[in-house]
Amino acid sequence: MRGVNADEARYSILEDYRIAQHQISWKQGSLIKAHFEIPSMHCASCIWLLDQLHKFDRGIHSSDVDFLRKTVYVEFDATLTSLRKIALLLSSLGYEPLLNAERGHGSAAAPQKTAIRRLYMRIGVAGFAAGNIMMFSISHYLAGDGGLLPSLELLFNTLSILLSIPVLVYSASPWFTSAYSALRRRHINLDVPVALGISVLFVRSIADITLGHGEGFLDSFAGLVLFLLIGRLFHQKAFDAVSFDRTFRSFFPLSVRVDVRGEQRIIPIDDVQTGDTILIRNGEIVPCDSVLISPAAYIDYSFVTGESTPIELVGGSVVHAGGKVVGKTATLTATAPASQSHLASLWERYGKHTERRSFTDLSDKFGARFTAIAITTAVVGFVAWLPDVGAALNVFTAVLIIACPCALTIAAPVTLGTAMGALGRNKIFIKNTGTLLELSKSDTIVFDKTGTLTEPLNTITFSGRELSDAEWYSIRGIASHSIHPVAQSIAIGTPSVEVDSVYEEIGQGIEGRCNDHYVRLGTRQFVVSDGETDDSTHISIDGDYVGSLTLQSKLRDGMHEMMDELRRVPARRPLLTLVATGDSERDKPVLCSLFSNHQMSFRLSPEDKVRSVQELQTLGRAVMMVGDGLNDAAAMGCANVSVAVTNDTSTLVPACDVVMPAGLLHRLPAILKFAGSMITVIRANLIFTIAYNVLGIALALAGLLTPVLTAIMMPVSSLVVVGLSVGGARLYSRRIR
Amino acid sequence: MSVIPLLVICSIIIAGGFLVAFLWAVGRGQYDDLHTPAMKIILDDRNTEQNDNNDNKRPRTS
Repeated sequence: MRGVNADEARYSILEDYRIAQHQISWKQGSLIKAHFEIPSMHCASCIWLLDQLHKFDRGIHSSDVDFLRKTVYVEFDATLTSLRKIALLLSSLGYEPLLNAERGHGSAAAPQKTAIRRLYMRIGVAGFAAGNIMMFSISHYLAGDGGLLPSLELLFNTLSILLSIPVLVYSASPWFTSAYSALRRRHINLDVPVALGISVLFVRSIADITLGHGEGFLDSFAGLVLFLLIGRLFHQKAFDAVSFDRTFRSFFPLSVRVDVRGEQRIIPIDDVQTGDTILIRNGEIVPCDSVLISPAAYIDYSFVTGESTPIELVGGSVVHAGGKVVGKTATLTATAPASQSHLASLWERYGKHTERRSFTDLSDKFGARFTAIAITTAVVGFVAWLPDVGAALNVFTAVLIIACPCALTIAAPVTLGTAMGALGRNKIFIKNTGTLLELSKSDTIVFDKTGTLTEPLNTITFSGRELSDAEWYSIRGIASHSIHPVAQSIAIGTPSVEVDSVYEEIGQGIEGRCNDHYVRLGTRQFVVSDGETDDSTHISIDGDYVGSLTLQSKLRDGMHEMMDELRRVPARRPLLTLVATGDSERDKPVLCSLFSNHQMSFRLSPEDKVRSVQELQTLGRAVMMVGDGLNDAAAMGCANVSVAVTNDTSTLVPACDVVMPAGLLHRLPAILKFAGSMITVIRANLIFTIAYNVLGIALALAGLLTPVLTAIMMPVSSLVVVGLSVGGARLYSRRIR
Repeated sequence: MSVIPLLVICSIIIAGGFLVAFLWAVGRGQYDDLHTPAMKIILDDRNTEQNDNNDNKRPRTS
């Protein structure tokens, strides 16, 4: 665990006004409202504790938790406490806040909030109007042949019209603005027929009422808008709960220590200039291209190249941005500002996700066709009834009313929203609803980074002569004195041991006396001074060579079953599984049981991965990329769908389409099947809607569509669609458990 | 029957009051987060310190 001092240094950056700004929502005199994102928040007692912050610090007035956004809002008095102190307090309670130049923008959550508030208000208005208008309409329907008293009828009609006006101009406005902007771009989306249906419904009703032809369709009108809004709310909620797309800068430390004439200072990353001396401690990420000043350092480039074994650099070598320092603090000289670094350019070139529009495209295409058919049918109906203009107009509007694809606009968001929710409850997070469609289409799976298929914990295999417990003890004791990662994984769990005359030759090995044994541990060159360097670590005890240690990854549980099952997933063609990784061949023997030789390629650069994905795509394959880090980002960005497998969802969330914990990887086939069945559910809804519309249009053409019938038909179709969607998604989601 | 218009108008005014109350609540942000308050209700009171003080004055019943 990190010590208090390290935390203190880390959060002292909050004294910097520019950084603090990102955390502050508003400020009034000394009263400040700030927010901290706390990824580790996970249960009710977290809420309880975070609600009690005022007890720990007198300066805190109140704290409020938003569980779904994993954020705590703190109101405090700046004269009594400070942002840094609160961050320290949170950290000491075990809720380390996520400080982040990119995430910190308080404004990010605000527009979302007003959007959902406006949606609730629209629903409130529509619901109020729909309920009241229905009361008046029912009295019309039940009045019988005599009809209502003329005075009552006048009152009811007036009130109905008055109530329906706010529904038209306020509640239904999203469809009108969307349809208008689509039409202006000479484009037809699904909102166009909806807006057309709504407006015809309204105009026809007003015309009927004022001309005394009948009671109009205002109840159907208000109810329809209400149903549409509820569908939209569903969509918004599902989207809100799983929006996790984080940008590239989230991976970088927010600030960096610089050495200015012997004095250490902490400055924001954006202020780093070429020539600055920067200090990067263990586990921190190098923010910009730089040159190493310290005599030696270990850099883990897993973010950049995919190779997770740290490499060793000597003074004067070039360190690329994105490398993680392992072990001792490294002193570097920046050679480029942070934003222009190698990594940033790599990200900017490939990392931008083209918006996955396939689903919107599908419904827009449907919308265009639907509008064309509806208008043609309406015109045909009009012409057929022509000598009688009144009846012809009646049929024309009736067709447009009943042909409103409202059920369809509800079907997709409700199905996909429920599906996303179900997956989210299983800790599988999906970026957007279109991703499900892409998932169901994919027929090629590329596993990037062997770490996704293998456990992150290395298992050590020893080959050589039998060693006694005392000898093992000595080896571990010596190893514990090296900061080399291999030595550290050998020494895991060893208590500190007294050793004599330890000498470490950086990059070669370590030697020393421990427990009456003289141990040399390191490369073949270092231990026996002959032979070539290989991937193993060699050991000699008291001058005799005893054997070598090899670090080997272990396959995750259930991988064989997963591969078998993947081959059985129904797809357009047999699924192709490949491995493309930046790692060395070290793990090849482990993977051989899953893949044949030609399915694996090693030591690929990020560009190579992109190229191989693109090659597959030119062969007409829908590529799904499964990876775990930033190094995969470029390839992930150009794959049709990308899955990030993380060992800790709350800390590392690369920009990708799906995020799932590594332990759930064996459920991948189930997820693919689930995505496929969701598309089936949507298709079923589509067929139902078409059948229903054909029936409705037939009634309309025959001139039989009365207001009562409309009032029944519209909600029934919506309810059936919602039922099918939710029921289907729930039923299938049980199978992924 | 002449009382019906009066009743209808009264009911609409009352229902309108509820609508206004709803819009006010939404505007004040009461619908922003529906999840956390639901979990908070199972927790002890926010001001347990004050409760402790009250407990000292009151004879213990358990």
